[in-house]
Amino acid sequence: MVTAEPPQKAVEVLKTTETKSVEAPEAAPTGETMISVRNMDFNYGTKRALHGINMEIPSRQVTAFIGPSGCGKSTLLRCFNRINDRIAGAHISGGQVVIKGKNIYDADVDTTQLRRQVGMVFQKYNPFPKSIYENVVYGLRINGVKKKSELDEACEYALKAAALWDECKDRLKANAFGLSGGQMQRLCIARAVAVKPDVLLMDEPCSALDPIATLKVEELIVDLKKDYTVVIVTHNMQQARRVAELTAFMYLGELIEFAETDQIFGNPQQKKTEDYVRGQFS
Amino acid sequence: MNEDKPSPSSDFQGLIKPPSFFGLRVDRQSLIKHFFTGSAAVTILTLFLIMYSLLKEGTGFLPTYQFELKVYRQAGLEFCDFIQKPLTENTALLSKLNRAVNADTATLTQKAQARRDALFLAKGRIEEKTARLREAVTEALETAGTPPEKLAQARQALTEANATAVAEEAFPDVYNAEERRQIATDLTAMQPDAAEPPAILKTLSAEFTEQDRIAKEKYAGFLEAVEAFEEATEPIVELHDGIAELAKATKEAAVQQHMAEDAKAQLLAAAESAKTPEAKANFLKEAEATSLEAIDYKGKIEPIVAKLPEYEAMIPPYVAAIKAAMEKVPQKGDTKEATALINEVRKQLPKHLTHAEQSPALMKAWQWDKPIPLIQALTAFLFGGDWITNSSWQDFYGVVPLLTGSLLIAVIALVIALPLSVAAAIYTNQFATPREQELIKPFIEFIQAIPSVVLGFIGISVVGDLIKETSNIPWLQWIPGFPVQERLNMFNAGLLLALMAIPTMFSLAEDAIQNVPRAFSEASEALGATKLQTVFRVIFPASLSGVFAAMLLGLGRIVGETMVVLLVAGNRIAIPDFSDGIGTVFQPAHTLTGIIAQELGEVSKGSSHWQALFMVGILLFSISLFINFVSRKVVKRFQLPKI
Repeated sequence: MVTAEPPQKAVEVLKTTETKSVEAPEAAPTGETMISVRNMDFNYGTKRALHGINMEIPSRQVTAFIGPSGCGKSTLLRCFNRINDRIAGAHISGGQVVIKGKNIYDADVDTTQLRRQVGMVFQKYNPFPKSIYENVVYGLRINGVKKKSELDEACEYALKAAALWDECKDRLKANAFGLSGGQMQRLCIARAVAVKPDVLLMDEPCSALDPIATLKVEELIVDLKKDYTVVIVTHNMQQARRVAELTAFMYLGELIEFAETDQIFGNPQQKKTEDYVRGQFS
Repeated sequence: MNEDKPSPSSDFQGLIKPPSFFGLRVDRQSLIKHFFTGSAAVTILTLFLIMYSLLKEGTGFLPTYQFELKVYRQAGLEFCDFIQKPLTENTALLSKLNRAVNADTATLTQKAQARRDALFLAKGRIEEKTARLREAVTEALETAGTPPEKLAQARQALTEANATAVAEEAFPDVYNAEERRQIATDLTAMQPDAAEPPAILKTLSAEFTEQDRIAKEKYAGFLEAVEAFEEATEPIVELHDGIAELAKATKEAAVQQHMAEDAKAQLLAAAESAKTPEAKANFLKEAEATSLEAIDYKGKIEPIVAKLPEYEAMIPPYVAAIKAAMEKVPQKGDTKEATALINEVRKQLPKHLTHAEQSPALMKAWQWDKPIPLIQALTAFLFGGDWITNSSWQDFYGVVPLLTGSLLIAVIALVIALPLSVAAAIYTNQFATPREQELIKPFIEFIQAIPSVVLGFIGISVVGDLIKETSNIPWLQWIPGFPVQERLNMFNAGLLLALMAIPTMFSLAEDAIQNVPRAFSEASEALGATKLQTVFRVIFPASLSGVFAAMLLGLGRIVGETMVVLLVAGNRIAIPDFSDGIGTVFQPAHTLTGIIAQELGEVSKGSSHWQALFMVGILLFSISLFINFVSRKVVKRFQLPKI
């Protein structure tokens, strides 16, 4: 098995184990480890999907996962907010995933609280059949926020963060399905951002979009890293090069190489990585 | 691609249609296609045939009913009904007063009556047990020359048997010890040839008579008032009966004439199509012989209308008499029942008196020759409040009582079934484990397998009693409509119909929830929503259109259901009395479906009644069509956009 070296200088394990507030993005300074995966194995039933993953994902940077289909990059991403729990039989069979000092697979972890801090954007845009406004404030409403001013503020903040404010500030009450595909995906990002999570997971967010919409979302991702730790799964190596500081290459459930993006694409240390980024994979 | 180029001829071969199929000059594909087209066509054709036959039978109703209403007016029956209406009200009020009087007098006579009746029953039972020995004694008496010792022996045997039977009797606890002894002696001594009934029986009867007299005396004022109430109507009844007789005779004549007209038309038609000239001449002669004297409606109506001033003169004394009678009725009865009845009468009385006072004015405005347009036959059907058939006076086909019954039962069923089935669907789809799902779904769908007649049977034998018993529990009396009078009522029917609709609604609602894209729930959970929040904020709202369609299709099933309502709804043809509020649901009713099932088998084909039932069928059909139409619209309108 190939060991994946942490890309940054030695990163200290965070000492605090306490849970954090919603305003958390400011809490972790840039470059410190946000997510730390330690020797993790993951199974779908009896089938092992991930083997001995070790990685340290720094905060407020964009980290990209690349690899051929079925290599487990989406599975790994989905481990970070435990959305994999929805699938019957899916479970972590060894190791830990530590986010801000707490192993999120501990028995006492409240998954709903976890998901409020680790937001997610899916491959296929999936707004709710509600108005644009209601989509954005959904996360706040389920948190029990009722005050109109607070909701309005969060809506404006999130839509601005997702670069959607100018396009739809005049039709917040319109149904979200009236938007274009790219707009809907940005709405989903706004929805995830509205609750101010620490981490934003993106599972191939541009695969259903046309090139222009893709460009817009990519710009947005680069923008978002000012405040959020972004982890993105992508099939598109150019996209990884454009948006990510760090890139992880995965193959058959293993993490082959994890390093700065320039290194992965310019000077890969592993033969498999080299083959893959040069397009010589069979 | 093949290596070497195929020759053009062989390539072309494959493109030619196979020449025949079973020797027919058609290819297999189009034959199968035509088979499917034919199947669809047959289905649609059948639907059209059903609609056609319904409409054909039903539309004939309007002219028929128009004619009947015309006769009703021209013969003066309508005129008589102006008088009949206050009379009917009077009868209803009177029956209430009578019940009130009985309830009051019963308090005094009840005990004596019970004592007397229990003894009578015991005597009957003992006589039955000793019947054979009694016969023996009678026979011995009748046969001349029976030795006295033999007679004495028979008497002795009878007395012994009497004693045993008396010992077996369990007398109710209404007699004191002295009376018990007396009873035992008297009953044991009973002989078939005794000239008088046992002495004790006579005593008890006398006691009852005395009590009855006392009661009558005590409530003399009340009784007198009731009597006065009854007598006040007598002159009016007399007058009404007199003119009703006349009107009815005219009506009969009109009906006869109508039938004769029909017969003549038939004869003429037969003459048209007759084969030989002789036959034709015969038919024509016969048609000629049919007398068609025009009925002199005007002449016949005059003596009826002439009674109007007489009737008008009767009204003020009547009103005065009723008012006087009501003054004698006590303010409140001595029993709860009587008080309730008296209060009811007092409440309804002003309305009744107004009706009576207004009737002459209505009759003055009435005209015997005012025409009845065809549309009035339709409105009388759709908005008429009476469904009266096989009446010796006049048949009315007003569908309102049936329609309200049907709709009310449907609403009750829906109110019960909707929350149950939707909640069950949400649970099964969202919360149940796969094992539970496997268990719940077949069980709920199994309900559909119960034949509706069996459900009706359960409604009569189990649910009816259950409702009645529950309604008598004292601490449940705050529920409107309790205690329930009728075992078979709309609530009972609604309950069973709900049960029948649940499988349909559950399955469709479950499908609707299942069809909500997984992406929605995933997105919601990724935002930190709990399962419940996801279900109620995202999944259920997204499935609403499907749930609504499920509700409407369930409603369609409920409205069209026949057997259960026929058996369980109580079949009282009357518009429910909505003054009971929610308690109205415990009244019996009849329904559109039930009336067809009940009456269609018994009416003669082609009669107005028959046609009216077809009209009811058309109405039902339209309701179902409307429900289906709306549900399709709703599903289309609120369909989730495809993403």
